Amino acid sequence: MRPLLRRLWFRLTESRRDADLREEIETHRQLRQAQLERDGLSPAAAADLSRRALGNVTLAREDARDTWSAAWIESAAQDLRIALRGLRKSRTFTLVAVATLALGIGANTALFSIFNSLLLRQLPVREPERLALLDRGSFTYPIWEAFEANTGAVFDGAFAWAAGEFDLSPGGLTDPMPGAYVSGRFFDVLGVSPALGRLIGPGDDRLDGNAGVAVISYRAWRERFDGAPTIVGTAISVNRHPFTVVGVMPPGFAGLEVGRTADVVIPMAAEPILRGADSALRHRTAWWLQIMGRLKSGVTLTQANAALRAVQPAIRDASKPERESHFLEEPFTLVPAATGRSPLRRTFETPLRAMLATVGAVLLIACANLTNLLVGRALARRRELSVRLALGASRWRMARLLAFETVVLVVGGALLGLLFARWSSAILVQQLSTWRGAVMLDLTLDWRVLAFTIGIGAATAIVAGLLPAFTVTGVAPGDALKDSARTIAGDRRLSLRGALVVAQLALSLLLVVGAGLFLRTFGALTRVPLGFEPAPLSVVRIDLSSAGVSADDRPALLERIHHAVSAAPGVQSSSLSVITPITGSGWNEYVGGASDEGRRPQAWINAVTPDWFATMGIRQLAGRTFDRGDRVGGAPVAIVNEMFVGRFLPGGSPVGRRLHIGKPTDGTDYEIVGVVSDAVYKSLREGVLPTMYLPLAQEKRIGQGIGLTVKAGGTRGATDRVVADALHEVDPGLSFSFVDFDQFKQAGMTQERLVALLSAFFGGLALLLAAVGLYGIVAHAVDVRRTEIGLRMALGAGRTGILWLVFRRVGVLLLLGLGAGLALSLWASRFVGSLLFQLEPRDATTFAGALVVLVAASILAAWLPARRASLVDPATVLREG
Amino acid sequence: MGLTNTPSDLLPGTLELLILKALSHGPKHGYGIVEHLRLASDDVLQVGESALYPALQRILVNGWASAEWGASENNRRARFYTLTAAGRRQLAAERAEFERMVGGIQGVLRTT
Repeated sequence: MRPLLRRLWFRLTESRRDADLREEIETHRQLRQAQLERDGLSPAAAADLSRRALGNVTLAREDARDTWSAAWIESAAQDLRIALRGLRKSRTFTLVAVATLALGIGANTALFSIFNSLLLRQLPVREPERLALLDRGSFTYPIWEAFEANTGAVFDGAFAWAAGEFDLSPGGLTDPMPGAYVSGRFFDVLGVSPALGRLIGPGDDRLDGNAGVAVISYRAWRERFDGAPTIVGTAISVNRHPFTVVGVMPPGFAGLEVGRTADVVIPMAAEPILRGADSALRHRTAWWLQIMGRLKSGVTLTQANAALRAVQPAIRDASKPERESHFLEEPFTLVPAATGRSPLRRTFETPLRAMLATVGAVLLIACANLTNLLVGRALARRRELSVRLALGASRWRMARLLAFETVVLVVGGALLGLLFARWSSAILVQQLSTWRGAVMLDLTLDWRVLAFTIGIGAATAIVAGLLPAFTVTGVAPGDALKDSARTIAGDRRLSLRGALVVAQLALSLLLVVGAGLFLRTFGALTRVPLGFEPAPLSVVRIDLSSAGVSADDRPALLERIHHAVSAAPGVQSSSLSVITPITGSGWNEYVGGASDEGRRPQAWINAVTPDWFATMGIRQLAGRTFDRGDRVGGAPVAIVNEMFVGRFLPGGSPVGRRLHIGKPTDGTDYEIVGVVSDAVYKSLREGVLPTMYLPLAQEKRIGQGIGLTVKAGGTRGATDRVVADALHEVDPGLSFSFVDFDQFKQAGMTQERLVALLSAFFGGLALLLAAVGLYGIVAHAVDVRRTEIGLRMALGAGRTGILWLVFRRVGVLLLLGLGAGLALSLWASRFVGSLLFQLEPRDATTFAGALVVLVAASILAAWLPARRASLVDPATVLREG
Repeated sequence: MGLTNTPSDLLPGTLELLILKALSHGPKHGYGIVEHLRLASDDVLQVGESALYPALQRILVNGWASAEWGASENNRRARFYTLTAAGRRQLAAERAEFERMVGGIQGVLRTT
């Protein structure tokens, strides 16, 4: 090893060493001359003899120089230079190749880095592999207390948290920041140290009213608070309550939910402060917490699970609500939590995998194109290569030359691809953000992504470069001296390139089918009839706990709000509802009654003001809407939609019938007073659900959030201002935010939209690449067979005959390619079933359409060279040959 | 006096062996090594003198000797080579190998 390093060092200082050596040899000569003079020779003779005594100085210097270099580095550097020069000369080829590679590698890296951030990256905490999450949903606070008390033997420490959104504005329009409630030992167990100040500890999580401390994320500190060093001790307003910032979390740590940052973290004991009467802390049926723990070292997950299930009865007894017979029946299950928790994963895991497969296919197609290009290039250089061979280069050296070109192309493509990936993955992640909140993924380059890029780069280089390097073995030194243009029969090597084109066609078909399926899914989703008119509507989400009224006074507050907004200028109608459609929230109850015993079907509920149906544009089909008589104290009434009637009230008019909602021992009997047309309930995918509307005035308990839907003429902005003013009049402290149904719709279609976009883009790209590949091979075939074509035409073949000749070949390739592609698509379609909407994975129309597209593209691609073939002038060709 | 480049007449690697041995008697510059070899071998070994220098470079690369600039007898700058510990070890090893070779040749020559 050391000699090698010395060699390299000597090589770097070569010129100086060379000068030194010359001086050294000259000194030697002078000493020799002096010696000879002492022996009696004349100075001239001595000088002459001394020079001859030295021998071949030039040779010696060259030999010395040889020891100063590692020969292989020299020749490698030389190969590199030749490769770069060659690539610089064929600029178009280089550009096309590098661009294709950059796109292919970049797309793969971009998607993989998102995949990595979402699914593979471990949390930036101490020893994430020892963390375990209690799976299967959320838990209540009493369960958590019992859990903490009973699991000391299993965990080194446990904590609970719940995601929340906090309003940092002192009044009026909300200033929402994503955040979390955490239990006292959260940061301690995770092993996170503060960047500034201190973090929340067990001392802060006490229910004595001193829990008004908060910790903010590093990003929030820098962006919102300008990175002020005086942040510790600053007062902030969280949901209108004063909190003190005691510290800043370290950069890189933003909670345990991947895809979401917890910018404001407060102790769990602060929840009653914020939510007052709506506090979920003491409720035995409020499921809102996540529980995680750090396993004791040496304890495996199975052991922990067993231990946990052993104490489950104790926990159950301690936290069971009264009158609940089935509680916490499902056995506790711990799952590894090194990668945190993410609802985003569930939505995006399958689409991500599908997209990764897609870009992988695109890369393969690009590789095939590159191989074809390189093989073509190598073939074109046969004369040059055979001359080199004749001059004495070894085959190995020449193969290395070609390989170097491939490596340079791939490295260039990979570097550009990395840049492209950074840019495009950031854009993709941005697309995931909805009105509900921004999606934040840490996309910094980590070793996995780098290794991935290097890996596929290397694989591409090998796959694409191996074949051209092999063609060198077919070159004989004498080839250059022969005029190889005279071959009449055609090139056997074409079959290899033909196989590549077949593969490209097959993969392209797969991707075009995918694009078709996903585009149609997205289209179908956008065309789902909503059942109401969203265009003139504005939605205001109001946080009632921000008003200065107690929970009991909320109905009166709602009335005042309704009044004020309805009277506002420009407002045509406004109404309140507990559930806002297509926001994903829902409220359901069991439907008991005459029809179904045994099975417990569910219906979906909404509590609305009487003008709801008018505001939303939902048609009344029978009976009446709610009126002033329907309030607390009156007989419970309900209005149902058509689907509800179809499912629960078949036969005869539903108006006037009675229905029991809720459990048989509990619940209420309602009288149906009206029927309305169907409308989408909570998501576009689920569409219309059997819905029951209750009068808002009859609700005894009003929750914290209410939706106000406003129908107005005029611009959205003007309407919003007017409504904001009206709300301010009612209660200056009221906090609210404006959204509209477009945003809700968009949020419901994010995944489908992205998938459709990406698959369409890559499907198109794949098609283009395959068409280019086909064009290349047909053009080459025509070129090679020009003499034959000329002969045929001279012997009487017409233009159509020549066209048929070319297309026959294309047809064979097409048939093979599409056949393989069809089989591949049919097999692969089963994996994407969950992503489709109103479409079967093996939808015949889509498949047929894709086939037509591919055939059309192929014919187009082959048309130009075919036409060129038919225009060959036999006389010219034969004269050349 | 036939003064030619003769390293190829010697067994490969012998030149380095001889240089190392010459250096084991103390630091020398190139001319000094050549003279030492001439005198020690009674004029039998006449190393083509510039051929010495590539060999010296190889010895330097392998770390068997270190070089330092100094003043030669005629007050010109010359490089003086000093044997290192590794060089000493290499000398012993090559010497043993050489003697083994010579023993082998002699063994063949002895058979009548």
